[in-house]
Amino acid sequence: MTGSEHSPIRCGIVPPYLLVRLARLDDPRFAAAAEAARQSLLRDAPLRTVREAPHPLPGPGLRAGAAPKRVPGTIDRSISDAAGLERLPGRLARAEGHPPVPDVAVQEAWDGLGRTHDLFWSRFDRDSVDDHGLPLDATVHYGRNYDNAFWDGERMVFGDGDGLVFNRFTASLTVIGHELTHGVTQFTANLAYQGQSGAINESLSDVFGSLVEQHARDQSTAEAGWLIGEGLFTDQVQGVALRSMKAPGTAYNDDVLGRDPQPDSMAGYVETEDDNGGVHLNSGILNRAFYLVATALGGNAWDAPGQIWYDTLTNGTLGGTATFAVFARATVRAAVKRYGIGSAEHLAVVSGWTTVGLGSGLAAGVPGPKRSERQRPE
Amino acid sequence: MKVVVSRSGGMAGIRTTWEVDVDAQPDADDWASLITALPWAEVAVRAPEPDRFVYRIRCPPNEVVLAEPQLCGPWKELVDRVKASQSGVSAAGGRRARSSRTPDSPLGDFGVNSQPPG
Repeated sequence: MTGSEHSPIRCGIVPPYLLVRLARLDDPRFAAAAEAARQSLLRDAPLRTVREAPHPLPGPGLRAGAAPKRVPGTIDRSISDAAGLERLPGRLARAEGHPPVPDVAVQEAWDGLGRTHDLFWSRFDRDSVDDHGLPLDATVHYGRNYDNAFWDGERMVFGDGDGLVFNRFTASLTVIGHELTHGVTQFTANLAYQGQSGAINESLSDVFGSLVEQHARDQSTAEAGWLIGEGLFTDQVQGVALRSMKAPGTAYNDDVLGRDPQPDSMAGYVETEDDNGGVHLNSGILNRAFYLVATALGGNAWDAPGQIWYDTLTNGTLGGTATFAVFARATVRAAVKRYGIGSAEHLAVVSGWTTVGLGSGLAAGVPGPKRSERQRPE
Repeated sequence: MKVVVSRSGGMAGIRTTWEVDVDAQPDADDWASLITALPWAEVAVRAPEPDRFVYRIRCPPNEVVLAEPQLCGPWKELVDRVKASQSGVSAAGGRRARSSRTPDSPLGDFGVNSQPPG
């Protein structure tokens, strides 16, 4: 195993397409380089300029025969089949323009990528994961009895589950949205996957994963279930989903799996060395804050709440090692910037963070007469 | 001599622990040579990746933490053997006895019990 440490690569003027390709490499050496280049990019050029940069040169992710000019917002999917091996990408099962295939995992992944792409494009004007039309590639049937799904830096990978505890991981649209959002985060705030920044990274994937499902089902905040991974457990497990954004810690309570360990406020914050510092645990605190904001505002969660979170993720102000407090402040700033100081959106965000124990110092910009609104009962 | 494999992370964020008492195995010598030959001190720190598993392998006085992509070669052989020896004992029991997922349910209090029982 290679063990040497690598110092971050210094970046001067790096063309966006190079950065994009750097960031797609599955190599920890490039994580620092990509972050440095991205920061440089954001400092030097507004996002709009980046958006209008020429399309990346054809790379490994672009299939032969792809037209040199593409229509923005056009989806380009491919689903491969690992056939039970742990080798990527596997054998191509369906590409854009191909007819459907009978394999249910291929079909679910296909539809899920489409739904996820649709949310980001139609609601947030984001052209795929990198905002430059990156092809969306996924692999299904990864490994044997593989109880997981992940984003490997350039594609989504889904296991079939063991059939005893877990069903196939394509079964929930929230999981597909979750994995793709890891890609969006990689190309934007690039939050380090450790400790609090890792939990923010996780929560953003849950937030947008849930929004993908709500958007696809046309569910309002009140109608939505706010569950992540509903239907992933087999019927032998006592639980409805992997996580609940509405009520973290209540998704399952099983004699073998134990109880859903997610805290729902800072009072229950978990210190652990496992799970990269509890990134899938403490994310519950942030998930609930988003749910509270959405509930306070009503309507569809992908509107103002989703927009505020999307702005926070993509406006270049979040550092890669942001803490919960930094993230909370950033959402408040994003709300104020888009909806105005003292707006209902601004107040809802402050109130949400206050309820989960992260309200300290956030009320500074809230006009006096309206402050009492922060204390609304749940 | 005990080997404890604790897998955390993954999209589900559920911790699973497998454990084997090497001395009680019929091929204890095989186990011992496999464990002795492992590069315990040569594991590089690797940047975490979204939703991948994290493996903590303990065999006192040794302990390593491996990112999922690092679980290859002799490490994978060890983990596969630990899993297999455990499920071999209780395979007939179905899901409930398939593996000791988070024994004594430490999920509820990770803070005080983040290490597998030793």
